[in-house]
Amino acid sequence: MTDATLAPARQPIVRRYPVLLVFLGCLALFTLGVTILSEGFGIGIISTSFVKTLGKTLCLCLVALAMDLVWGYCGILSLGHMAFFGIGGYAIGMWLMYARTEIIVVQSLSAAPLPPTAQEISDGIATQIFGVVGASEFPPIWAVAHSLPLQLAAVVLVPGLLALVFGWLAFRSRVTGVYLSILTQAMTLALALYLFQNDSGLRGNNGLSGLQNLPGLGHVPQSTISIWFFWASALALGLGYILCTWVVSGKFGSVIRAIRDDESRVRFLGYPVEAYKLFVFTLTAVIAAIAGALYYPQAGIINPAEIAPIASIYLAVWVAIGGRGRLYGAVIGAAFVSLLSTYFTGGQAPDINLGFYTIQWVNWWTVLLGLSFVVVTLFAPKGLGGLFDLIAARTAPDRHGADLGPDVGALREKEAEK
Amino acid sequence: MSVFRRFFVAALSLLVTLAALPVSAQDAQAPIQRLLQEHGEIIAKSSRRTIGPAIDALAASGLDEAQTVLERWREKEMWQNKDTGLFVYAEEIDRRTIRTFDFATSEALGEFEDKAYKQLKPNSGIRGLISAALVRFQLTDPNPQARTAALNAIERDADETHLAALRAVVDAESDANIAQRMKRLERLLTIRFAEEDAERIAAIQSFEGDLGVDVRAALNPLVVTRLDVDSVLPNDADVVRQIEPGTDALDVDSAYALLVSKDLAVERISRDAQKAALIANIDGGSVGGIQLASLNTEAGRDLAYTALVQQGAVEPAATDAEVRETLENFAFFERYSAVSPEVALAAQAVLKGIENKVAVNQTIDLGLDALSLASIYFLAAIGLAITFGVMGVINMAHGEFIMMGAYTGYVVQLFVPDYTLSILLAIPLAFMVTFGAGVAMERLVIRWLYHRPLETLLATFGISIALQQLAKNIFGTQARPLTAPGWLDGSLVFNDIVSISYIRIAIFVLALLFLALFLIVMNRTRLGLEVRAVTQNPRMAASMGINPDRINMLTFGFGSGIAGIAGVAIGLYAKVTSEMGSDYIVQSFMTVVVGGVGNIWGTLLGATMVGTLQKGIEWLNPSNTLAAQTYMILFIILFIQFRPKGIIALKGRAAEA
Repeated sequence: MTDATLAPARQPIVRRYPVLLVFLGCLALFTLGVTILSEGFGIGIISTSFVKTLGKTLCLCLVALAMDLVWGYCGILSLGHMAFFGIGGYAIGMWLMYARTEIIVVQSLSAAPLPPTAQEISDGIATQIFGVVGASEFPPIWAVAHSLPLQLAAVVLVPGLLALVFGWLAFRSRVTGVYLSILTQAMTLALALYLFQNDSGLRGNNGLSGLQNLPGLGHVPQSTISIWFFWASALALGLGYILCTWVVSGKFGSVIRAIRDDESRVRFLGYPVEAYKLFVFTLTAVIAAIAGALYYPQAGIINPAEIAPIASIYLAVWVAIGGRGRLYGAVIGAAFVSLLSTYFTGGQAPDINLGFYTIQWVNWWTVLLGLSFVVVTLFAPKGLGGLFDLIAARTAPDRHGADLGPDVGALREKEAEK
Repeated sequence: MSVFRRFFVAALSLLVTLAALPVSAQDAQAPIQRLLQEHGEIIAKSSRRTIGPAIDALAASGLDEAQTVLERWREKEMWQNKDTGLFVYAEEIDRRTIRTFDFATSEALGEFEDKAYKQLKPNSGIRGLISAALVRFQLTDPNPQARTAALNAIERDADETHLAALRAVVDAESDANIAQRMKRLERLLTIRFAEEDAERIAAIQSFEGDLGVDVRAALNPLVVTRLDVDSVLPNDADVVRQIEPGTDALDVDSAYALLVSKDLAVERISRDAQKAALIANIDGGSVGGIQLASLNTEAGRDLAYTALVQQGAVEPAATDAEVRETLENFAFFERYSAVSPEVALAAQAVLKGIENKVAVNQTIDLGLDALSLASIYFLAAIGLAITFGVMGVINMAHGEFIMMGAYTGYVVQLFVPDYTLSILLAIPLAFMVTFGAGVAMERLVIRWLYHRPLETLLATFGISIALQQLAKNIFGTQARPLTAPGWLDGSLVFNDIVSISYIRIAIFVLALLFLALFLIVMNRTRLGLEVRAVTQNPRMAASMGINPDRINMLTFGFGSGIAGIAGVAIGLYAKVTSEMGSDYIVQSFMTVVVGGVGNIWGTLLGATMVGTLQKGIEWLNPSNTLAAQTYMILFIILFIQFRPKGIIALKGRAAEA
């Protein structure tokens, strides 16, 4: 027997995952189309604010991708990834706000008879930024806010470290399943409550604002900046998709799927389950943070309400509706649901007059979303992505039979038979 | 004989008066009038500085009429006849005419033109003195209510004259309660106003261990300190402590400012003032010979300022280094500033004892607070202890069941105005509503997902989102009131520090009732037995003739129903909003998980721990509930690291079920 029979020569990743090329192609076409139709670089059919909405949606698709990797592939239902998303936004927002305020303060001080000292500039910036919470000094966490490279590093490092420490604590003590979900939710809640305080150093519930103005680029119109961010978001989504595909493609991907299906069995086969989970958890936290860092300059404002547990729950909703366990499903779900939400809650959807009652979508959209979520969970566990199976003529196994493993939620007998 | 003679004289003078003033029947020799005449001059003069003896004499006269005089005088109703100098009180009939009355007999004397009389108009200072004197009369008023009112008035706004007044009456008081209050007030006033230090110290020491707020209010002003400075620390008795400049108690700037104010050091210049001085001396692109461009550092500005000092353009000012050096040569300390050191020390000692006792009582109060918070968490979590703890179904819409219960209570109150009746109606109704909702949810959603806890979590999330928005659509976003019956108003007060509101006691009792209910249902009824059988081994239970579907449905309904009742209780305590459920859901799950899933005693311990912790952290970091919740959640996350199965972990077969 040769090695070749044991391990067949690995085909290139695009051959094994043709979806990757299709997805990247679609993304490129979409980006090109939006650019051509935009105000900044094209014929101006799509308004700047809608370009921003589309750019933000791409960022949400990226964080949904991360959620799919950690939940759909590794089975960890994290209700904390929007917290990492928010931390990424705060990290970049601190630099944006500092740098922009610095320009304004230096400008106003330059009119004074004496050239300003470094201390005066710093005091001026602090008063501008923290006057709203009644403080006039920089809290310690703003120590590196003056430096773009350091804050960019913080975008990756702070959520990464938080995820690493939290994940290490949680996985080490074998907190799994719903307990882990509740624990991550508690972490998110703790973070949100902390940020809501005025003395947290991040302006309490005022949050950081004015993030859409890039420092030093005041002369560039928002229509151009919006396209830049749109491109950056598309690029990030494309790279994120390639990275996630690569992660789930090889042996590593098989192991994390196995962990999802029966964790104890994988552990008994000798794999360090905790290390795998920790890696996936931290990696996805970093991806979420990068998505957040791209999202909030387009949104213009970030406040602690964005980090509240409900945001992470919506993230799970998007992935579930899109279809978890397949990367394009998460992207489709996030894009579909978030755009639909924007449509309905933005007041654009026409009201439905039932005669005795008028359904206003602003009020009823959330009800519909919640119920459709229940319906998807019950009747279409594959979500929207399952529609592609119809095209590919892949049918689901009949869901009946006994549990295969000892764990609750283990694969069931008939499901394992393909 | 003398009595005879006085009578004779009085009669004679009466005759004379009658003859002289035929219209007036006023007796110039009545004791009260004689007293007034004695002090007639100073009364007419109406000066706050000299009026004292007159008021004192009136107050000390022991005459009943003195009270009338003082009252009328204060109300500017006392007039003096310009001819005879006699005093009367009068009411104005019209602008020119007054009707006068005799003080001695209270009889009307007739109507006169007001030109013949001079109205006495005491200023506010004198009126204050009169009022103080009047308190003495009120204190001896036969009506106990008047005496209590007088005591209240003194408590509100005491001055030194009250002390003597109180001392004069305190021993004669017959009503025991009032006597007690009088004695206490007398001691409090002694602390504040007595002249002799020994008296004050005795009074201070008599309050040892007294928790009253009034005692601390009387003592605290005595131990006020002020900052002082000397080249060495003086060895005086009134020196409280030495303070190092540059610590939290005293920053360098204010220490140096004190030295400057005592002319012990030259003034320091603030950065702003320095900047202004530099700007004032700009001389064609440079200051003191230094280029403007190099003034963008503090060192550069100091240099320029020194140059200006050398030129004599500005006053010299101390630099930071000089400030430090100067400060080292002095000792800063605090000394008692209000009273003599002996009194202050005695007050300090008593205060310290009181503060220790206050701390003990505050701990007790905190314990009660923690207990009531714990019972709220327990109430919120007990339904979850059934659905999640016993059945293992994770229901994220549990908080919304709490909300539904609370809104049921609100709706019942819309129809039943009587609060007691409406609460009694609301409790079973809330149970029924949420029981129905729970059963419906179990039938429609949860039973399809028994093997998939993560999906149960998601589906119930969906329901939770939908229910919350539904409540918002129906009831609006503003908070709705759920009013407690009148007999639950107020609180049980143990002393000035320890108290607990009745509503919290009611919630505590309700929590205990629920605990009992849970234990009875689970351990003493057929349903409980079947529930335990089904949760441990559904197949075996089914083969014994138990219908697991029915049991699951009932159990879930029971847990949801309890959540509904908890909602009524929580609604009484907090406001009813569509988000009230989500405020409790994470804490409820924490309570169950920390306590140990599947054990009601664990839930009880978990609630106690979570409640105590939150109150404890709030106490460490007052007025910051957000931070308290943050740290509590962090603590729980860490706690689960060390006891992943909770405080009470199930062992053996039950743990595997």
